[in-house]
Amino acid sequence: MNARSADTAADYTVDELMVTALAAQFGNGDQACNGMASFIPVAAFMLARMTHAPELIWIASSVGLEPRPKRIPASTLEAALWRDSVMYIDQYTDFWNLVLNGRWITKFCVGAAQMDCHGNVNNSVIGDDYHRPKVRLPGTAGLADLCSLGKKLYYWHPDHSQRSFVEKVDFISGAGFLEGGDARERLGLSGGPQAVVSNLAVMDFHPVNKRMRLKSVHPGVTVEQVRAATGFELLMPEGELPETAPPTRRQVELIREVIDPDDMRKSGFRRQP
Amino acid sequence: MQEKTTTIEKAVGLIRDGDVVALQNMATQAAPMALVREMIRQKKRHIGLVVLVGGIAVDWLAAAGVIDRLIGAAVSMEQFGLCQQYRAAVEAGRVRVEELSESLLNARLGAGARQLPFLPSRGAIGTDLIAQNPDNLRLIEDPFDGRPLVACRALVPDVALVHAHRADRFGNVQVEPTALWPDLAVMPYAARRVLVTAEEIVDSEILRRHPERTVLPGFIVDAVVEVPYGAHPTSFFPAYGYDERFHRAWTEISRDAGRAAAFVDRHLSTPRSQAEYLEAAGGEPMLAKIREPASTGG
Repeated sequence: MNARSADTAADYTVDELMVTALAAQFGNGDQACNGMASFIPVAAFMLARMTHAPELIWIASSVGLEPRPKRIPASTLEAALWRDSVMYIDQYTDFWNLVLNGRWITKFCVGAAQMDCHGNVNNSVIGDDYHRPKVRLPGTAGLADLCSLGKKLYYWHPDHSQRSFVEKVDFISGAGFLEGGDARERLGLSGGPQAVVSNLAVMDFHPVNKRMRLKSVHPGVTVEQVRAATGFELLMPEGELPETAPPTRRQVELIREVIDPDDMRKSGFRRQP
Repeated sequence: MQEKTTTIEKAVGLIRDGDVVALQNMATQAAPMALVREMIRQKKRHIGLVVLVGGIAVDWLAAAGVIDRLIGAAVSMEQFGLCQQYRAAVEAGRVRVEELSESLLNARLGAGARQLPFLPSRGAIGTDLIAQNPDNLRLIEDPFDGRPLVACRALVPDVALVHAHRADRFGNVQVEPTALWPDLAVMPYAARRVLVTAEEIVDSEILRRHPERTVLPGFIVDAVVEVPYGAHPTSFFPAYGYDERFHRAWTEISRDAGRAAAFVDRHLSTPRSQAEYLEAAGGEPMLAKIREPASTGG
């Protein structure tokens, strides 16, 4: 199956494809926030708000409601992103009143060093010994909370590899479907992983066993490439495997010229796209 | 009313070796760096650091051997990468980490502030953070409906370190409209002692013009010191942005323990005052740059 149309951009890069694939998951009335170093999600929110979802609610940096950044700055936490907001969200009170309440902040974009076949993520330690880790990662920040609090979770990863997509994470810093099946429900957790957008493909999760499943491959990428880059057996969808819809000309123009002329979205990729 | 103004040396003198010190900070934002440098200068040891998201301050305290444990949600300088000296100290077992999610840290501090044994949260259920930390986190049943909750044990830091836009000499602390991280809302209220640096010490009459911006009452503050650009090289919205050049210089050498120690020493030992510190860090041209609207998000 080929998703190309007359509107398809003649040239685009994989970071732009990831932005549009993530943006497609956000619609009017959804409520989103972002943390640090979240260039792909921030570009996706801004693009969605300029195109198909003008009423997507966004709390930039988890600080500024409905901001008007001039462009994506070098930090997705600093003031340039929450410029011209309609409200500063006080962290201890306002923000956690919203996040800890299942009614608000309905969707969240999850980025982490390691992710496993059930959508659990690790941003804490690599290695077996928690107190003498091989690598001390930054830490969970608000990820552990957002993953457990009934939000729909959308994952992004710019480096789909056996190092990052593993059978079982070394440490669960954010709960996906835990051991799979109904493990999440048994702990009383609603929401959970919906989709994974990597630099190679889009994945979702099997409705019953909750293992990661290939949903579409990006144009120019083969199933074998995705399988080889994944550290566990990726489930295959029933029927034909579609190609991820490429960005339109208009989307690429907005991303390059309005949203992110400084190419911040390209950071985090192993090879510069 | 009691006068709280003092020198940076005397303020930091109130911190004892072994204390648990809560630090205002986000990745590249709002760290009370003058207090941090003075802690290093006074060779504080065995400090436990509490931080929501720590940045260069944590890296310096780790490089100088001041901290041996950290309670917090993340340590990162965002665009400038992982804190390499902190990372090396943890990987070598010199710093022990109690990792909490943000809601769990807020609950621990909130319980501390209100003298409750614990506060519950629904955050982080299902993660390994809970089993890893039985001393301070327990999965319990909601006494009313039996659903799982995380009980987060009260955390009472010995000291909280804060940097603010202005204060009066009685320790009433005011900030400009800005992002309010939990550092001001809960950390100082949970801590036994509160040390504040402020961009300027002003007459109380100035505070009275905008009492809605006063965020800490003087009676809970132990010491206040005037330190212009006291958050440099981190940003302090809306007054100034982060010093990119300084952060980049640090990240370039910070993998090497020797060069990192020399860098910290150069910014600590030689300058005898905040003015000399700022001069060594680039002086007025650097300050003009971090004050530019482009640096503060204007």
